[in-house]
Amino acid sequence: MTISAERPTKSVATSASPPTSRGVSWTQRPGWMSQHLGTAIVVAVLGYTFGHWLGNYITSGYPYIANSGQNAAANALALTFGVAGWLLGIGALNYPLAKLVGKEPEKDTPVDGWSKYFRYTLDHKVVGLQYVVGVLLFLFTGGLLAMAIRTELLSPTTHVFGPGTYIEIVSEHGTIMMMMATSIIVGPLGNYLIPLMIGSRRMAFPRIEAFSFWIFIAGYGVIFSALPYGGFPTGWTGYAPLQTQAGPGMISYLLGFAVIGLGMMAAGFNIAATIINCRAPGMTWSRVPIFVWSILATAALLTLATPTLFAAGLFGVLDKTVQTAFYVTEHGGSSYLWENLFWFFGHPEVYIMALPGFGIVAEILPVFTRKPLFAYKVAAAGMIGVALLSFFVWQHHLFQSGINPDMRPLFMLTTELISIPTGFIFLVGMGTLYRAKIRFEVPMLFAMAVFFNFLIGGVTGVFLSDVPVNVTVHGGFFVLSHFHYTIMGGLLFAFMAGLYYWLPKMTGRMMNKKLGQWHFWTMFVFFNLTFFPMFIIGLLGQPRRVFTYARNLTFLNDFSSISAFLLGFSFLIFFANLMWSMYIKPVKAPANPWDSLGLEWQTANPIPLYNFERIPVIMTDPYHYSEVDAPALADLGLSGPGAKASSSSGKSDKK
Amino acid sequence: MNKDPNHLRRIFVITAVLSVAADLLYWFLAGPHIPPGRMTSTASSNQWDFNILMVIALPVLIGVWVFLGYTIANWSSKRASAPEPKGGAAARSNMKAQTLWIVITSVVVLFLAGFGTFELIIGDGSGGGEGPNPVWEPAGAAQAETAALTSSASWAPGKVLVVQVIAQQWKFTYRYPQFGGFESAQLILPNDTTVAFNVTSLDVIHSFWAYQLEVKADANPQENNVAFTTTKQLGQFTVRCSELCGLWHGAMYDFGKVETRSNFTNWATTTESANSANTADLPAFAWTYVPDANGAAGGYYPDGTVTPYSTVETYGAKQAAS
Amino acid sequence: MTDTSHNQKPFSETPEEVEYELRGQIGAIWSGGRLFIGMYTFLLASLAFSYFYLRAANNGLLWRPHNITAPTSYGWTIWTLSLVAAALVLFGQRRLRSGNVLDWQVAGWVGVACGLGALGAQIWEFTAVPFYPGSSGYASTFIGWSVINIGTLAVATYWLETTLARSLRMRKKSGGASPELATTASARLFRANVSSMTYFWGFVALSGALFLAMFYLL
Repeated sequence: MTISAERPTKSVATSASPPTSRGVSWTQRPGWMSQHLGTAIVVAVLGYTFGHWLGNYITSGYPYIANSGQNAAANALALTFGVAGWLLGIGALNYPLAKLVGKEPEKDTPVDGWSKYFRYTLDHKVVGLQYVVGVLLFLFTGGLLAMAIRTELLSPTTHVFGPGTYIEIVSEHGTIMMMMATSIIVGPLGNYLIPLMIGSRRMAFPRIEAFSFWIFIAGYGVIFSALPYGGFPTGWTGYAPLQTQAGPGMISYLLGFAVIGLGMMAAGFNIAATIINCRAPGMTWSRVPIFVWSILATAALLTLATPTLFAAGLFGVLDKTVQTAFYVTEHGGSSYLWENLFWFFGHPEVYIMALPGFGIVAEILPVFTRKPLFAYKVAAAGMIGVALLSFFVWQHHLFQSGINPDMRPLFMLTTELISIPTGFIFLVGMGTLYRAKIRFEVPMLFAMAVFFNFLIGGVTGVFLSDVPVNVTVHGGFFVLSHFHYTIMGGLLFAFMAGLYYWLPKMTGRMMNKKLGQWHFWTMFVFFNLTFFPMFIIGLLGQPRRVFTYARNLTFLNDFSSISAFLLGFSFLIFFANLMWSMYIKPVKAPANPWDSLGLEWQTANPIPLYNFERIPVIMTDPYHYSEVDAPALADLGLSGPGAKASSSSGKSDKK
Repeated sequence: MNKDPNHLRRIFVITAVLSVAADLLYWFLAGPHIPPGRMTSTASSNQWDFNILMVIALPVLIGVWVFLGYTIANWSSKRASAPEPKGGAAARSNMKAQTLWIVITSVVVLFLAGFGTFELIIGDGSGGGEGPNPVWEPAGAAQAETAALTSSASWAPGKVLVVQVIAQQWKFTYRYPQFGGFESAQLILPNDTTVAFNVTSLDVIHSFWAYQLEVKADANPQENNVAFTTTKQLGQFTVRCSELCGLWHGAMYDFGKVETRSNFTNWATTTESANSANTADLPAFAWTYVPDANGAAGGYYPDGTVTPYSTVETYGAKQAAS
Repeated sequence: MTDTSHNQKPFSETPEEVEYELRGQIGAIWSGGRLFIGMYTFLLASLAFSYFYLRAANNGLLWRPHNITAPTSYGWTIWTLSLVAAALVLFGQRRLRSGNVLDWQVAGWVGVACGLGALGAQIWEFTAVPFYPGSSGYASTFIGWSVINIGTLAVATYWLETTLARSLRMRKKSGGASPELATTASARLFRANVSSMTYFWGFVALSGALFLAMFYLL
């Protein structure tokens, strides 16, 4: 390490020069004149219009396609130019364009006030909060669509929606939720907390980070543009040839995934580079918080698996616009190709959605048990193991498809092997809980619920990986319930735990505890009441994505639907709590409300622009709870009132 | 410290007692009724498989739940008697516990993989789609399948019955190559007979799920996906499409029957002769059918020639060029 | 706003801190460059997988009827140009390291020309292919490859061009014979960038050889 713990008292002024006298460029003008959400929308609309015109112009030789409303080329170009316009309008392309003439980045003067949340802001803390709002937008829209699905399934015979509308809703729900789930923890909490946890003042690539957020929002627009085009009928898996057969809404799905994919790659790339390179001195690999390990494993998956999704989406767009035949079996393509490419991405994707949840739970448990994290190395190894193995299991989605049937024993083996590193998380959790002194605060309740839910999700995963049992349960409600237990029961509960836990740090305001408990209990109870019956529904023979079902399943479906509405209600409680605690009656949060030893809690409150006034020197890992003579976590290099925070020790657990 | 009871032993005992009770209750009360029942060989063997997994899974579930419950009950900060937790090296890792955990999970997992593979092989694919050239197939299936393509194919009780399932948006039709290749809207099967389902599709991907028969195979256009089962009981069964296939996916279901062998033979021969005129108009029996080479899906080349599909039998190949 | 290297901080830093952060940033550029190659590998691997999958499946005997191939001359031209560009970049980087900044600049700009030439040829090739996109599996994957390669060449050329432009501007700004070789933060970041970019060009040329063989020769 190049920095000694001793700080020179007199610092050298490295940037003593006052702000440059150079005129402020037009991109930096304050107020409505500069670039923000408004300009982004305007330029996006212009780009969309131009692309649409261009598509119709190019295809004008085909009179039955051009200006027909079914012109895939026009849709594809419109959305592409729309997204490009969005990026141009928000200012994402300023620096890449200026680079062409060799310019250094503009001096990025910090904007005060709320308007920075509507801009291409490079502060990872702002991006984190932007992401909170972004993922909640995805989550609530997807949740409303889920309510619609459950409404339709109230009756086996009476239909609320037409079959076309129903399929649109199902497909949008799946796609939106999958897109949301890839980012729900990495986006808000990963971006916000990683630099704070590793003692860095910055992200490695702040522009790429901001890009990942704004293109994520563009993806929201792209995927919803399917609705005016008549939606897409394929569900989130987008299987060809149904994909090839589908109308122009399919373009929105394919491009939407490609656009979101770009965001996922950018986010993963930036976070991986940050964790590898920007750790504070002394932050060795055996000292990084376990959450950082989980995000690193996730970032690796995001960076490496998503290009396959991008390629698959690109080929799909080419199929629908320039009439290639990647997925058209009759023309020398193969519908199996999509299934392979999609799931080669799709399975690592599943762990992109599981690992950050494990990380949050493992990070929170020590705080509320006042015990060190049990088997830290096993936890880190488990996460890396899951990430590696996840590339070798994709064909378990295709056990009954007739693709490579002889490989089924192999994929059964790899799939079941992956439950070993997943099981490590339970070992870690149970070891940490053993002989602890548990404070059942709201984040802890959610973390405990993750163990309960994910256990059911994980065990049913073993059932699914068993090929003979898979014959019964593949493609039915059993699978549906399984992945809701892992993604919603695991990831979303972990996200809530993380939100209740870190929002006091992120916003300086406490979430209301009473409302939080109501939120937890309603969500936990009704989540289980919604999805547990679905295991039985699946075993009794109800396939996924149907609008009719056997009459004898009415009771179970109704039970599930009513629970689902109440589950939706629990999200209203959450929303009310969020509004109440953040805006209506904010209660100022103490500096370290949970008595955590984590580095992120040692920063000043509110967190200064550059996080740490001095680069902290890390002395040990942040899990020395209940330890006599515990070493201090870090030397924050502060003198004065803030210095006390740095000498955190096991004493803090005695309130 | 000395007065501290042996928590792990307590947890273990509670788990063991509850697990044995739950396993026994499950095995004898729920097990025999686990879907999809015992209508066919694959149904009963996969039911057995499911029950074995459940018997292993229940102790795991109970173990973790008991642990969590025990934790909540004993070590809540609200309990005044709760001892102060201890940090330090002992709380950070425990080689014995970690090794034990890893060994146990690995053994269970490897056992499950081996068990699943064994069941898959002795179950001749367990009723799942095995692609066009099944590696695991019941005795006599290969001969019956090969013979099915010839016009002289026939079926007699005791032989393997070859049935073709043709999926299209949004219905299934069934062809019986051993009965002159007639087509039926309803799936009728003889009892005590091994059936080879040859599943294919004319348009998008569907999945043939004969629920009570415990047969599930994706129907892919221009691919033959074979699945086997042996019928054991008379009765009605449901067929549903279990892969999203578009607008009316939810309405893509029908009902079939397992009849006695003699009833089945009567039905099949009667239908064969009654349908003979229709059957003559159908394309020759083939494993897969592709759209007319002269139609929308024809190869398209700059020189204007249409590439024939030659070696594969094509659906509608006999139609005159339009 | 947290782009600390380009912003003024509201507090002063010790030289160690500045150095430490700079090293982190250089490391990020270094490992980011390799990570980018990893990403690209998976992208190209998806294409290669599609190619071999469709080739092996040969559905409807329509993998590549009549053994039609895209014009080989274009393939060789595109690949040779990208190889030359990569070689020039590598050469330039070596010369830069040994202090010959002018060599690096000349080699670099010729490299940009080669990259643009390859890009142009890749686009123009669409007018010369003897098949329709959907006529065969080969035709489809070829179009896919062309589109991806257009992207790759554009990215690589952009990266090279921006590095050269940065180099020119550094000269204009700070004067001197070779500001690129100075010990200033921007010069060190610049050199890290050149190194990552050189690796990427090498990757482009190597993967290009693989796809040249797949699409034009096999």
